[in-house]
Amino acid sequence: MLVEVNHLTKRFGKFTAVNDVSFGIEPGEIIGMLGPNGAGKTTTIHMILGLITPSEGEVRIFGHDIRTHREEILQAINFTSPYVAFPYRLTVLENLLVFARLYNVPRRREKIDAMLEMFGITDLRDKPVARLSSGENTRVGLAKAMLNDPRLLLLDEPTAYLDPEIAWQVKELMMRVQRENGTTILYTSHNMAEVEQMCSRIVFLNHGRVIAQGSPIEITQAILKEERDEPALEEVFLRVVRERISA
Amino acid sequence: MKLHRVMAVIVRHCYEARRNVDRFMDMVYWPVLDIILWGFFTIYLRQGNQLRPDVVSFLLGAVILWGIFFAFQRDMTVGFLDELWARNMINLFSSPLGVWEYITGLICVNLVKTLVGFACASAIAITAYRFNIVPYLGAFLPFILTLVLFAFAIGIMMAGLIVRFTTRIQTLAWSFAGLLQPVSCILYPIKSLPRVLRPVAWILPTTHAFEGMRQVLAGGGFSRLHFVWGMGLNAGYFAAAILFFNWIFASARNKGLLVKIE
Repeated sequence: MLVEVNHLTKRFGKFTAVNDVSFGIEPGEIIGMLGPNGAGKTTTIHMILGLITPSEGEVRIFGHDIRTHREEILQAINFTSPYVAFPYRLTVLENLLVFARLYNVPRRREKIDAMLEMFGITDLRDKPVARLSSGENTRVGLAKAMLNDPRLLLLDEPTAYLDPEIAWQVKELMMRVQRENGTTILYTSHNMAEVEQMCSRIVFLNHGRVIAQGSPIEITQAILKEERDEPALEEVFLRVVRERISA
Repeated sequence: MKLHRVMAVIVRHCYEARRNVDRFMDMVYWPVLDIILWGFFTIYLRQGNQLRPDVVSFLLGAVILWGIFFAFQRDMTVGFLDELWARNMINLFSSPLGVWEYITGLICVNLVKTLVGFACASAIAITAYRFNIVPYLGAFLPFILTLVLFAFAIGIMMAGLIVRFTTRIQTLAWSFAGLLQPVSCILYPIKSLPRVLRPVAWILPTTHAFEGMRQVLAGGGFSRLHFVWGMGLNAGYFAAAILFFNWIFASARNKGLLVKIE
């Protein structure tokens, strides 16, 4: 296993955000983490990154505990989310140069140019981040996340602010990266069609607990409790949300 | 600690200083304004023959040295605030960057920024008020070191408080030094303070730095006693600041504050 999440629990006072979550990720796999808002997806990702200390349980990446091998693990992984930002006065290039230094990327400028081209934002190179649209900002975040050729990529709703065409391009790019570089990806999204196409396996969270995990079709059958020929994650998601509201 | 990551922090704050007018103002405007204001005051005092010649040196020397302390303490805290305002903390600390690598980078940038402010203020003092700090620099250096180390300790403590209480207490970056100002005996000797405040003044390295500076300017030579007291106190504050910051940073990770602070 490339990532082992074992009995992960996070309590904030009396509130339990993540409750005994366990799952593993095989090398080269794209795994989706789904669940309604407040299900514990982002907290789980933050614990995987070592940004939040778990109340119980452990995260092992490349066979090492994130708490004891933080530096070497984070050197080989990367993360992006449209909900985090960059220093807004700095240009796109300046921001990426800073992160390229942090990850000790060789031939920084060449790598940055390649990433800007990959995400179709070469024309934004010298623009201050403050003047970017949400979608452009998201793509800068993705370029940052690819700078160190990560073995593991954590993407928290990376297509949330993108228009459908750009979101489709990003999805295709991520699948290409996984195919060509064997990058392992943990992906959260509210776009169920995207998750169905990209992810071989899904961990479905609700109220901080794993309520199902498996392939999209297995998740569909487990939560809808009926035989289906095709995955129907949209329906699954709506069922979970409605049950949550009625409860 | 990896040099390339420290360099990344330095580069990040250099870009910020280049593009952010506020940082330029902090670096140059305030030290220059202070020295101009106090310089005019010494001119007024000279005109009335109400002044011993060495008092001009006391005043201008003190203003320059206080500028060093204030700027260094403020910039340590504002460095962290810049990351909060930019919502960049998650990006930074989901990278292999360690918090002490970040602080080391910040110290390097702030040393340069403080030096620029010091040079500007000193140049004005020489040209406009005929007060040349350069001949005193050798004897002042130990006291400048005392001030910088104390500013560093205070800056780390303030940064720790900001990690814990976020931008709600950001005003401390600019105001905390002001709280120390009256009891640091910058412009007057410690015997001018009410008796009740003197013990407080003695436990501040800043007081020892300014008492030492006055002894140099009065021709009494380098005060080993004030230097040793200043550095001894600094060792205590410094150790406390590091322990405090490590504890509060671990606590922030535990409470999930690192991903929420803005």
